[in-house]
Amino acid sequence: MNRPAAPAIELARVSRTYRAGRPEAVPALREVDWTIPAGEFVSVEGPSGCGKTTLLNLIGLLDAPTSGEIRWDGVPVGSRTDRERARLRLEGVGFVFQRFYLLPTLTARENVELPMRAARVPRGERTRRAADLLAEVGLRGKEATFPHQLSGGEEQRVAVARALANRPGLLLADEPTGELDTTNAGAILALLERVRADRDATLVLVTHNPEVARRARRHVTMQDGRISSDVREA
Amino acid sequence: MRFGFGSRLRHLRLQQVLAIAAVATAVALPVVLISVGSGVSAHELSSLENAGYQIVVSAAGVHGIADAHNLSERILGLASVTAASPVLSVTIDAFPAGGGSTPVLAEGVVPDEFTPTLGPAEKGLFPDPLPLGDPSDATHFANGTYTGPATDDVLVSSPLADAKGIVNGSKLWLGPTANESGAVEYNVTGTFGVPPTALGPTGVFAIVLPLSNLQVMSGVAAGANASVNDGADTIEVAVSGPAATNQTALEHVRREVQQLVPYYEVSSLDSEAQQLQAASGVLIGFYLALSSVALTVGLLFLALVLVRRVESDRRSIGIRRALGLPRRWIAREIVADGLLLASLGGVLGVVGGYLIVRALATWASADVQLAAQWAIFDPGTLVAIVLGVLALALLASGVATRAALRIEITEALR
Ligand SMILES: Nc1ncnc2c1ncn2[C@@H]1O[C@H](COP(=O)(O)OP(=O)(O)OP(=O)(O)O)[C@@H](O)[C@H]1O
Ligand SMILES: [Mg+2]
Repeated sequence: MNRPAAPAIELARVSRTYRAGRPEAVPALREVDWTIPAGEFVSVEGPSGCGKTTLLNLIGLLDAPTSGEIRWDGVPVGSRTDRERARLRLEGVGFVFQRFYLLPTLTARENVELPMRAARVPRGERTRRAADLLAEVGLRGKEATFPHQLSGGEEQRVAVARALANRPGLLLADEPTGELDTTNAGAILALLERVRADRDATLVLVTHNPEVARRARRHVTMQDGRISSDVREA
Repeated sequence: MRFGFGSRLRHLRLQQVLAIAAVATAVALPVVLISVGSGVSAHELSSLENAGYQIVVSAAGVHGIADAHNLSERILGLASVTAASPVLSVTIDAFPAGGGSTPVLAEGVVPDEFTPTLGPAEKGLFPDPLPLGDPSDATHFANGTYTGPATDDVLVSSPLADAKGIVNGSKLWLGPTANESGAVEYNVTGTFGVPPTALGPTGVFAIVLPLSNLQVMSGVAAGANASVNDGADTIEVAVSGPAATNQTALEHVRREVQQLVPYYEVSSLDSEAQQLQAASGVLIGFYLALSSVALTVGLLFLALVLVRRVESDRRSIGIRRALGLPRRWIAREIVADGLLLASLGGVLGVVGGYLIVRALATWASADVQLAAQWAIFDPGTLVAIVLGVLALALLASGVATRAALRIEITEALR
């Protein structure tokens, strides 16, 4: 399949302030300037509430900045229509959500197949790919299980498999190993790294775990809605 | 959020059951109104079309047709006319031998002219010849005066006969008012059946007597100090030959009759049928307007349930939009939901409406029963109603879809 290659991403003075349902506005991101070249493996660390998920949502086109501009390969994403952004998310972004967000009425396999169905991957191909992915995340035999019958760690692994289904160029993983033991966490990280390397994809990995963060080539730390340090390994 | 019809059905919740019930109720109303309404119209139309006469002379206003015997003779002289029957209809009072009085609808007729104007269905209801003693009504009505001996014979409708214990050979006193002292004694010489009518008992308590007798009784007789001389309400004209089947030929005869009676209204039943059809069209239109109110309420309810469903599915919808699934997938699901509920409601409504009409035909009061028995369930109309409901359901789904697509992804995922 000819998937879009990883985009080069730029954030220019990006702020995101939440207003809805709160007495006072919450500035979750404050004028962030940041560039992620295509194919990079970046870890994002920082205390809870510092804006990591907000940042991923903006990069992954789930949300729009309150001010500032986000560009993919130089093109401001704000200039694209809703429909175009949905298509980019479907085919170009693999999101492992912090809270998994599996569809409760679909089985593990159906959850993994869903983005492929939407992207019109032929049935045989998507059945095979879903089976392979579930096997790779260690869930062989759990294909027909519904999310509520899975443990938190198992759900998380289904979420990883789903994120990889359409072979996206941009992988955004929000604490993808938060619910996992060391062995499983290691396996998932190895999978993400391998997929990233195979496809030359960009991987942005949010984590609280320094062990996990160490596997990245570039380490970003956030504080209070700002990037406080950004270290690239030699 | 599973895909497929079966699982949708299995996951019906109370809300959806209520929405189906609302749509069903909304559909049942037009089904009942339109089937019964068009049935009654069709029945009236067919009784018009099955009448034994094709042209009616009537007097606009209350003064009646004067010189009725004479005019009828002259109309009868026209080439294709086979009968010209003057009829006077008056409500008078009958005093059966058992005592008491009852209002009856009296029809004064000329027996020999009346019989040929009976339609095929009516013919069997009357004795033939009419046993009224004076077939041409000439004995009493002699040369425009009322000097001859009256036959004083009367025919009684079987419901009246049954109700009052009147039999062939009974005496029956008839008078223009409820005051018995003004009544005259008549001989009951037979009974006649009445076809079912939606008019109720007053319509079936009827008597038939010679025209001249009724004229005398109601003060429109020839020679008397009458407001109308030799009065009648209508002259029913039967034709034969091409005029009986051909509209243009009938119109030609109608014009000939009109020339004989320039002061009266002459209409062909053909045009009356058209008027009736137009009138029933208006009525059906009114039913449709009424029904569309019911349908609108039903579908507002459906829209409400669909929007509620979208709200409770916020999270799932947010996830699917976050994954980048096309908007039409989300729309399709809501529309499928809406159509499923609406079509279930529509089918239930049609079946329910049918059952309601059947129930009315069995258990309602006599008049309603009769109307319900005439009901026509036209498949085309029923399908049109259901299709209309589905079209409106699309609209309701559209409202819900709009709500679904306006959900902010990050808000829905919180
Ligand atoms: N939709 C929202 N509406 C209002 N406030 C929000 C919303 N999402 C996040 N916030 C607030 O914005 C700030 C940043 O949130 P964010 O989820 O980005 O933090 P995080 O770094 O991912 O934290 P954690 O490590 O706990 O996941 C927090 O103060 C949070 O309460
Ligand atoms: Mg977070």
